[in-house]
Amino acid sequence: MRLDIRPALERGVAVIAIVLGLTSLLWVLPAHSALTVKLEQAELSNEQRQASQKLLEAALKALPPRLVSQLDHEILLRWSPKLAHSVMGRARYDGQILLNQRWLDALVQGDDQTLPAGRQHATLQRELQATLIHELAHFYDRGQFWPADERGLLRSCARQHKSLGPVGLPVECRGQSQRRFTLSDNPRLLELAGWPARIGGRGEVERHNDQYLRTPDAYELSNPREFVAVNLEYFLLDPEYRCRRPGLHDYFSEHFGWAPSVAADCAPGLPYVNGGLDVDKQVLGQLDEGRIYQVHYLLAEPEGALVSRWGHSMLRVVMCAPGRPLGPECLMDLEHHLVLSFRAFVDDLQISSWDGLTGVYPSRLFMLPLSQVVDEYTKVEFRSLQSLPLKLTTEQQISLVRRAAEMHWNYDGTYYFVSNNCAVETLKLLRSGTDRLDIRGMETVTPTGLRALLRHADLLDESVLQDHSEALRQGYYFDSYRERYQLMFDIARERLNLPQQNVEAWLALAPEERSDWFERADYRVAAALLLLEQAAFRRQIILIQHELKDRYVSGRRMDDVALNETGELMSQLLRESGFLSRPAELLKTGYGLPQKQERQQLKQLTDERQQKLHGLAVLVDERALEMISTEHRRAVEANQRNITELGARLRHLHRESGRLVLP
Amino acid sequence: MKIRSVILAAGLVGFSAMASASSFIGTTNAVGNVLVNMAEALGDSTASTFGSNKVVLDARDDAASFVGSDGQVRGVNLEAALGHIRHQMPELQATDMQLAEAILAL
Repeated sequence: MRLDIRPALERGVAVIAIVLGLTSLLWVLPAHSALTVKLEQAELSNEQRQASQKLLEAALKALPPRLVSQLDHEILLRWSPKLAHSVMGRARYDGQILLNQRWLDALVQGDDQTLPAGRQHATLQRELQATLIHELAHFYDRGQFWPADERGLLRSCARQHKSLGPVGLPVECRGQSQRRFTLSDNPRLLELAGWPARIGGRGEVERHNDQYLRTPDAYELSNPREFVAVNLEYFLLDPEYRCRRPGLHDYFSEHFGWAPSVAADCAPGLPYVNGGLDVDKQVLGQLDEGRIYQVHYLLAEPEGALVSRWGHSMLRVVMCAPGRPLGPECLMDLEHHLVLSFRAFVDDLQISSWDGLTGVYPSRLFMLPLSQVVDEYTKVEFRSLQSLPLKLTTEQQISLVRRAAEMHWNYDGTYYFVSNNCAVETLKLLRSGTDRLDIRGMETVTPTGLRALLRHADLLDESVLQDHSEALRQGYYFDSYRERYQLMFDIARERLNLPQQNVEAWLALAPEERSDWFERADYRVAAALLLLEQAAFRRQIILIQHELKDRYVSGRRMDDVALNETGELMSQLLRESGFLSRPAELLKTGYGLPQKQERQQLKQLTDERQQKLHGLAVLVDERALEMISTEHRRAVEANQRNITELGARLRHLHRESGRLVLP
Repeated sequence: MKIRSVILAAGLVGFSAMASASSFIGTTNAVGNVLVNMAEALGDSTASTFGSNKVVLDARDDAASFVGSDGQVRGVNLEAALGHIRHQMPELQATDMQLAEAILAL
């Protein structure tokens, strides 16, 4: 059934009607050589008959040859005055398709004004064609018209299911042993549609469809049968379908061994919103698939702390700079590399671990600049990163990144610390992005577990880590700055005879006490001290944040207006940053990956939002600065002076010694 | 002296997600990370061609580590910057150390 507005109750009834209808239909009708749809209605006027016939021909012409030959029924078409106002059409139990007569006159007159609001198909004629295709798609889906090789697999899987039970099934049979539909219970279709197999679920799929953003028609989310029917409408009628939903387009094309001849030119590149929030950088990005050199499994190593001992799973897309041929040199094009990272989106200052366990936070796919991710882990959290090339074909790499772009625009999941964390999300993305059996067989909920499984399947090139310094040099390993700081301190201590015993003691000194030593530093030591000053600065900021946060969270008082206001601004800042991980909220039109019509608007919107965010951040900054203690404030300023002073000293020494100066 | 840029705000956002979340939920809020980059940008660089180049600027921490450790620590950002400079100035005769020092003095 197809509705223009969709009351929930009616939807339920309609589904049952179709199910009942089809089981009898398929066995009763005599065999024909191919599908025929007949309009049999004596009371229609000539104009009505002609318009209907034209509609029917256009719909049939759009159908894939395979569907026409397989669905060899005679189907009767009638205009019915009895359908509910909101219903556009319905497939009846006796094999008839009914169209709502309320649209007949408008169709004859070519009147598109009467088109129900909120539809994606452009004209009433197209809308009614889509209705016919939708209902025929239900018939086709019900008919178990599997291609020969798939039929063979399903038979063998059903046999194994009987003998081994659901637990003993091999990977290729997961979700395949009890199939009833041509398309709508195919595991591949389901994962592209947003019902992926659960990790550890042995083929059982997720109950909720979290890929609900930027849908052409929310009705598709009702259940997989409706999803198939709605998507066949767009696959067959919308030349942009292949641009907007490339994964599903490829799936349907492969199934039918055929693709619609009219295909639009897609807007160049895969659009994404850069979550890095770099003021100097364009937020709206465009990823050129042809420039993907490799995809790496990027693992933030576990640290000592109780819970992050699991590490964090990400993917790194090694993009080549524009114009550079694909090759190892692209590893050096760091500013073009992107990190795909599933994170919980937290829009509250008072983050709760309990909420992380019970699924309160959304799980979203962030697309971030590599340098930011590396800095965040190595310099702030003192965790090292491994970047291990995945052994995938070029096609698999492209399909994986394309799939990620689709998720970025369509997906808004729920974060569960144990069952739907970064490792689980990354594994699901790898499964649906590469469509490889060996990855489908993997089950794990931890980042290190995923690395082990990928290694076991010989999908990781771990040889890149064998030579540690070479790995650092090539960017296969990013070391935590903790060790660097220690090393720098050891050098300064030795050269300057510092009395402090360890780096912590040095960083704990007042900035002024440290700067007393600067004059004695030669070039090498000054470089070491500069790095340490930056460490001290970061440490100082974190201390201040702790102070402010503690005051806000624990000592919140009604009368502390400044604190409450700043807290409110902070919350606003967090909320406003939501579009970075859920860019779909920026656009009201179109579906799937944004195309030409939306890109222009997107660019303007993202620029505006970026400015706004930045303005807010500056405001919060000013407020926060007013609130910190004089002592902290002085320390920060002194620390900044130290950095400036060391920078100047390095330049001075450099000039004096007459060394190489870059233009 | 005024503290430049969005250090605190960004850091605060980061903090809310980082201190508890990243250790527990295994994640960090995107906005939070501006903190680190801002801290880097504090040492002003002179107005030279390479001094405004991102590849070179991103290599300053690596260059400091390289110089400070007398060549022991050699990160990928430095590697990328060395390649970039040599590509731009093919006639340049300079050792890695000389170039690292020059980057640091920009």
